[in-house]
Amino acid sequence: MDISFNNNEIHINIDTSIFNIDAIHKCFYWYGDDYSVTINSSSDNSVFVMLKQKNGKIKSDEEDKLIDKINNDLLDFQTRDTVTKETKNIRDLLVAKAFAHSDIYDEDPPGEISDPVGFKV
Amino acid sequence: MNRKSRKFLPQDDFNKEGENYFLLPFRFININKHKELLVNDVGDYIISDIGTARKVVNREIDKSGSLYADLISKFFISEKDIPELIDIQATRYRTKKSFLDEFTALHIFVITLRCDHTCHYCQVSRQTSNKSKYDMSKKNLDRSIDLMFKSPSKHITMEFQGGEPLLAFDNVKYAIERADKLSKTNNKEITFVICTNLASITEEQLHFCKDHEVLISTSYDGPKFIHDSNRNFSKGSSHEVVTKKIDLVRKILGEDQISALMTTTNLTLQYPIEIIDDYLAMGFNNIFLRPISPYGFAIKNEKKNKYEIENFIDFYIKGLSHIIDINRKGRFFSEDYSTIILSKILTPLPVGYVDLQSPSGAINSAIVYNYNGFVYASDESRMLAEMSDETFNLGHVKDNSYNQIFYGEKSKNIAKYSCNEALPGCSECGFQTFCGADPIYNHATQGDMTGYRPTNGFCKKNMDIMRYLFNLISDDNDIMGIFTNWVHKGKYDFELRNEA
Amino acid sequence: MKLNVKGVPLNIDHPLIGRIVKSHKEVSDQDEIILLSDKPINRQVNKNNILGLLTSQNITESGYENIKSLPTVHSLPYTDHLVDGDIVCINKNGFVNTLYRIDSVHNTLFMTDRCNSNCLMCSQPPKDRDDIDYFFDINMKLISKIPIETETIGITGGEPTLYGNKLVTLLNHLNKCLPETNVHILTNGRAFAWPSFVKKFDAINKSKAVFAVPLYSDYYQSHDYIVQAKDAFYQTIMGIHNLARYGIPIEIRIVLHKQSIYRLEALAEFIYRNMPFVSHVAFMGLEYIGYTPHNDKLLWIDPVEYQEELTKSVFFLASNGMNVSIYNLQFCILKKELWQFARQSISDWKQIYIDECQNCSQLENCGGLFASSIKKHSDYIQAFN
Repeated sequence: MDISFNNNEIHINIDTSIFNIDAIHKCFYWYGDDYSVTINSSSDNSVFVMLKQKNGKIKSDEEDKLIDKINNDLLDFQTRDTVTKETKNIRDLLVAKAFAHSDIYDEDPPGEISDPVGFKV
Repeated sequence: MNRKSRKFLPQDDFNKEGENYFLLPFRFININKHKELLVNDVGDYIISDIGTARKVVNREIDKSGSLYADLISKFFISEKDIPELIDIQATRYRTKKSFLDEFTALHIFVITLRCDHTCHYCQVSRQTSNKSKYDMSKKNLDRSIDLMFKSPSKHITMEFQGGEPLLAFDNVKYAIERADKLSKTNNKEITFVICTNLASITEEQLHFCKDHEVLISTSYDGPKFIHDSNRNFSKGSSHEVVTKKIDLVRKILGEDQISALMTTTNLTLQYPIEIIDDYLAMGFNNIFLRPISPYGFAIKNEKKNKYEIENFIDFYIKGLSHIIDINRKGRFFSEDYSTIILSKILTPLPVGYVDLQSPSGAINSAIVYNYNGFVYASDESRMLAEMSDETFNLGHVKDNSYNQIFYGEKSKNIAKYSCNEALPGCSECGFQTFCGADPIYNHATQGDMTGYRPTNGFCKKNMDIMRYLFNLISDDNDIMGIFTNWVHKGKYDFELRNEA
Repeated sequence: MKLNVKGVPLNIDHPLIGRIVKSHKEVSDQDEIILLSDKPINRQVNKNNILGLLTSQNITESGYENIKSLPTVHSLPYTDHLVDGDIVCINKNGFVNTLYRIDSVHNTLFMTDRCNSNCLMCSQPPKDRDDIDYFFDINMKLISKIPIETETIGITGGEPTLYGNKLVTLLNHLNKCLPETNVHILTNGRAFAWPSFVKKFDAINKSKAVFAVPLYSDYYQSHDYIVQAKDAFYQTIMGIHNLARYGIPIEIRIVLHKQSIYRLEALAEFIYRNMPFVSHVAFMGLEYIGYTPHNDKLLWIDPVEYQEELTKSVFFLASNGMNVSIYNLQFCILKKELWQFARQSISDWKQIYIDECQNCSQLENCGGLFASSIKKHSDYIQAFN
């Protein structure tokens, strides 16, 4: 990923094999208050994001902070996206069980219950 | 226990196999420069160093550490693809959402628009004696009451608002008597509330209220110079009148039958400490710190809304710090909005608060029967109607059936935007479980029911408050006792009673 | 406290259970009793309602010819521990076991020595032999003889759920004979994870029963290690939830030792969030008996050292409205804020005070120590002035 500055613009090239497009959208959604955001694909596996600051120029001593913020935000939203995708099924199962009208969908208990003498439920 | 001997096995023998764990649904958000908050689908949380969520997802958590044990026991990760205790989680989720079981429980009756005050922040009331134009007609009152009893809720609250309901007390009286009778034949419990400025209340009216266990909710903005500046009463000082009448209400109805609500103005925002101290002196045990209502003239002014929320947060933090100090010194006093949020954070119980729940409280929890017979999805919905926006007008008590109003096209449409689990910006927010959705606020301030989170005032307010509360929880060792006491309304006050 | 005595058996071919009566004058025709008499009985005694005879005398001496065929245990070395109304079991081998003491509030039904767990600190180490039929018969008979005014009866073992269906039978028999008596069942709760099993308990009288289930950690590995049984944690939690579905009252018991202390606050939070419906949570001091001395290095921690964790956990639950008690810990080692939760919990037959306690001003209020504490107790037991 590379980030460059130009007046009140921030130019970001993102490798989509590292940050997927959903994460990129969710991340820069939150920048819409202070920046106007455009997202375009620039090749098969990269995306170009341009942030135009709405008020005033970006000062040079702010640049490092912004790079940190963008890096961290992308990582965070990528993390969130991973959680959402990996847990989609279990979340559906949880909600389905929560609102099911009977207990036939309940899980069986794990493991053994007997003592050495022998006991069956 | 199938093994042949009872030899004691070491701790490692009780590990489940496999190195890698599965993720369970959770969200995270930073609460300050060093700490982040992880929250699962039932509101259990972990406060940990920034970067913890990343480590969890990247499978970098050390299995032998206490964080790993916390993540397992609090349902953030699982060693099996379907966790052994998933049915317990499902029960907890069902419990958290069970405030929905009752469907519409709060029925607001705008019995008249006539009023004897001219409060500068009020969008609704009319200084007039034209009863036929601005009072709810008996016919519409009957029809509204009939609709109310069609609600599946076993406990309904009938709340009278206005204008000033006391100016139409005959109708209020009639409505209460009729509803009381119907509650018995419909096998429902009913609670009555009158929202009133108390200026014109008489002992006779109060005795009627006592007979029907009516609760009083009054407007009290704090010390005289603030209250009277906000609330103009033609017959003199509103503050003088309301303080006298509060005493009278307490004498006739009892201490706990009256509550006070404050409306925030620019003047209010300058005096958090004074207002709270005044509430204390007036014998109240709680206060509701609310932002300035955006439902006014320049409602879609994003800059103004943002500014007002920022000022409010400043006011709120000052106020809350002062309230916490009061509690530390041994006196119980709570802030209502914080208490609602804390109930969601600190307990496994369902918390249904109309303005902060998902699905949203509009229709699902509350409904408004307007003086003119039209039915609105919420109080704010009818304020929009006053400004000629009828988007949330669900129908008329004369022309439309219960199903048409509560389950009609408009209602179903609002429902699409009522779950923060499915809204952009909210779906992966760390505060989601404690927050809510307000499609009507979104429509009013931003032009559509989805809302645009980065500039949304409802979002900003709740994020700032929740972040603040979690910072207190994270940093302050004594705060849990105080917060827990608020959540349980002072019932289990063990911290403050420790003489043996 | 003496609960058994051995003498010489005569005419006993199966265990007999009966209520002690010391004087044959007080016997009505309907009662089935066991006569305890040290005086020569030279009057004709109505034999029909006397199940058996206990005496410290040597029966071969004269004075007993007319009741020589009665089941008897004679030459008992002492009988002063037995009073009118106690219920005993007379065994073929001459053992006389006290099953019920009229003067005690701590009576329990002992169910079995079998158990499907093997807790590191078990105070009643299991024996792997099938004794359930034997104890079931004794307990069913005992239940029908227990005085109806009895306030509470405990059910212990071993693990009572190993009775299977017989446990429901026994509980229903108990409720029929003693409809006003509260029953307190100690169980690991694991079998209730199976819906087909817990369903049977829907039929018991729930207003008179509490199931007391031990839980030692919020983290499965820690709990399983302490109870020495794989999957026990998950089974126990599922069992508790299933009991709750049927409206059956539940108490949670937490034994305090080195393995359970380090996650105690996490456990308290786990209980409130996941099982807020339990009717009682009891934090229990360790009894130095059974397996405990053997596992001393794994378990022993002076109670004075865990007062912080205990205070935080107790206050957390109490301030959230849960019913909390502390058992088996003495006032002098408990933080003062915790005294309001401490109960007189040690069963009278194993409760003592040590020498240091004799001059203590709180002697009346404090629950004392376990008899086994003679071997090991806190270094900080100290009398209050």
